Amino acid sequence: MKNIFILFIAISAILTPAMNYGSGDPFSQTKFVPAISFIMDVSWLNRDLNGFSTEGFEIPGFLHAGHTDGHSHSGSIVNGVKGFNLNYAELSLFATVDPYFDLFTSFHLSEDSFEIEEVYVSTRKLPHGFRLKIGKFLSSFGRFNAQHAHTWNFQELPLVYHVFFGVDGLNEKGVQLNWVAPIDFYLTLGCEILQGENCASFGVEEEEFYSDDEGKGEDAKVPGLLTLFGKSSVDIGDLVILGGVSYAGGETRSVHEGTEGEHLLSGSSEVFGFDVTLKYLLDSYRYISLQTEYMNREFDGKLSGSYQNIGDGDQEASFTRSQAGFYSEFVFRFSRLWRTAARLDMLVRNSVEIDGIDEGLPKNMKRYSFMFDYTPTEFSRIRLQYNYNKYLYYNGDLKNFGEMNLQLNISVGAHGAHPF
Amino acid sequence: MKKKLIIIFIIVGLLFFTSVVEAKLKVVATYNYIGDLVKKIGGDKVKVIALAKGYKDPHFVTPRPSFIAKMRQADLLIMNGGQLEIGWLPPIIRKANNPKVNPGSPGLLDLFEFIDAIDVPLEVSRAQGDVHPDGNPHFHLNPENILKVSEAIKNKLIEVDSANMENYQNNFEEFSAKWKQKIEEWKKAMKPFEGKNVVQYHKNCDYFLNWAGMKKIGTLEPVPGIPPTTKHILFMIDVIKHKGCEFIIHDVYHMKKPSRFVSNRTGVKMVILPHDVGAVNEATDIISLFDEIVRRLTK
Repeated sequence: MKNIFILFIAISAILTPAMNYGSGDPFSQTKFVPAISFIMDVSWLNRDLNGFSTEGFEIPGFLHAGHTDGHSHSGSIVNGVKGFNLNYAELSLFATVDPYFDLFTSFHLSEDSFEIEEVYVSTRKLPHGFRLKIGKFLSSFGRFNAQHAHTWNFQELPLVYHVFFGVDGLNEKGVQLNWVAPIDFYLTLGCEILQGENCASFGVEEEEFYSDDEGKGEDAKVPGLLTLFGKSSVDIGDLVILGGVSYAGGETRSVHEGTEGEHLLSGSSEVFGFDVTLKYLLDSYRYISLQTEYMNREFDGKLSGSYQNIGDGDQEASFTRSQAGFYSEFVFRFSRLWRTAARLDMLVRNSVEIDGIDEGLPKNMKRYSFMFDYTPTEFSRIRLQYNYNKYLYYNGDLKNFGEMNLQLNISVGAHGAHPF
Repeated sequence: MKKKLIIIFIIVGLLFFTSVVEAKLKVVATYNYIGDLVKKIGGDKVKVIALAKGYKDPHFVTPRPSFIAKMRQADLLIMNGGQLEIGWLPPIIRKANNPKVNPGSPGLLDLFEFIDAIDVPLEVSRAQGDVHPDGNPHFHLNPENILKVSEAIKNKLIEVDSANMENYQNNFEEFSAKWKQKIEEWKKAMKPFEGKNVVQYHKNCDYFLNWAGMKKIGTLEPVPGIPPTTKHILFMIDVIKHKGCEFIIHDVYHMKKPSRFVSNRTGVKMVILPHDVGAVNEATDIISLFDEIVRRLTK
């Protein structure tokens, strides 16, 4: 309720100048109103599975039961339950601050929360092709991470992103420096120094884990996360090739609620990513595109607390994870209004060792997705999507199931530019 | 790890220094017709790159990452404006990290500021389709507007590169004299069509038709940017039969089926008009573009 109140104040603060001062007012500020856009996303879902949602399911070695939503913020999960879903709404503001900065904000709204997904300034005047971003933003790691949900080709983010970074992706407070090379083909290099609060791979706080102990644990140093990325692109006629390599490395501190009780992971993780996109433009509207991203994660550290093989209470064990996954998607926009696409998600490596002993966790977990979408204008989209899931476990057993959803995505206000 | 970092630094450093400043002024133009005007006025003192392909829909340009590399090195960006580039240009400028071409900088020239727009809507609602709140952006098909924007381009080139002022001034005078002469030629050729009715697929030749004194009696798109519906097509067939019509004008990038259907049903000639330099083989520069438009209408 409080959040809705804040939203109301925010919107009225933005609109007030436009309403109160008509033309002829010498103090009119109307022309300084930032570019505003608003997006809504709703869907209807059915899955051939008993139960209302997938609560209690897990992805062994990646996400625990109760955390299969990737530690999402309250209510921000897409297609959470059978039936109607209000997936999210998004309010974005963009304006040039002064000759030196641009400001971009994006608020993520769900039925009962109002969150700052992104708020950052970006420099306008740095020389030699440099740009600095300061604030909270979606990391430029990989191809997919920085894209907003309404531009995705499928309704959910790729599985490998889900398990490594959570459903909100790598979205952190910090700074980014990037550089565009002054050469005839596209090459950009960048690095980010981030707080390191990602729920799935990184973290700096041990939270309350040792609160009833003798102050045993230690919070990690901050900032806890460093990313590096390089992207390059060439055109061969109407074929556009874009490739990138990315790295994210930092501290990991995360408290998990397992089936046997609470345990803490502490150590450090490194994620390497490799992506390539081929897009062939058939004419002004039609294209074929093939996009794939492979990611590998290495965690080295220790596990403390209650966990199946190490007993109860304050036990400690060395713990390593060596995991990888990829997705490949094929999109065909076969007319101005229609697109179809298929995606394969796969987690191909899942080696978890406790005190040097391999846990023998399952691998080759998969998801197949197909979709058709209809985009009558640039401001509305209707999408029918089918997923066949072979990655969720319940009480140790793999549950295969299909799900079908029908999604409506609407945007109003400022005209968003099309991402590549 | 350390070794790798050193190698990366060396590569970056090399890239840095290989970008030795070229003597020519680097101009990025969003569309071919702008690129051609810059070539005509800049002569050999400028290096021009046009981003969009002339044979594609100017509203839907794929924002290729290679555009960012071109924008990164630009001394000057010249755009059409009127929100024609709204769907693809802003992120290219933002990602290029080039302060010279940021909105508000002297290195960005918006040609729309120099012409009088037509069809500026009083009320704007997207229920009317893909409306341009500042008016119809396809102004370059009025030959008089070409004179206005070439002068703006000349002034801008002089502003950012005053050393070559004389060159720009001379080229501009030569071009505008030639252009004025061509206007008379085209006017004469189009004279017989003054007052005649015409139907377009999309409102992209309005400026030319107004200039030629032709009467626009409708478009096959029910509202801009929305593909024709059966109902609207039948309505337009009725309008054509009732009012009479000289041409059905179609562009090079939309599907020809709806226009061909109406043409077959009514017996009115369908003419495919190039909208930009490079839209058809004959339109190799701004002069031959207009030559070709006039030739296709009058043949």
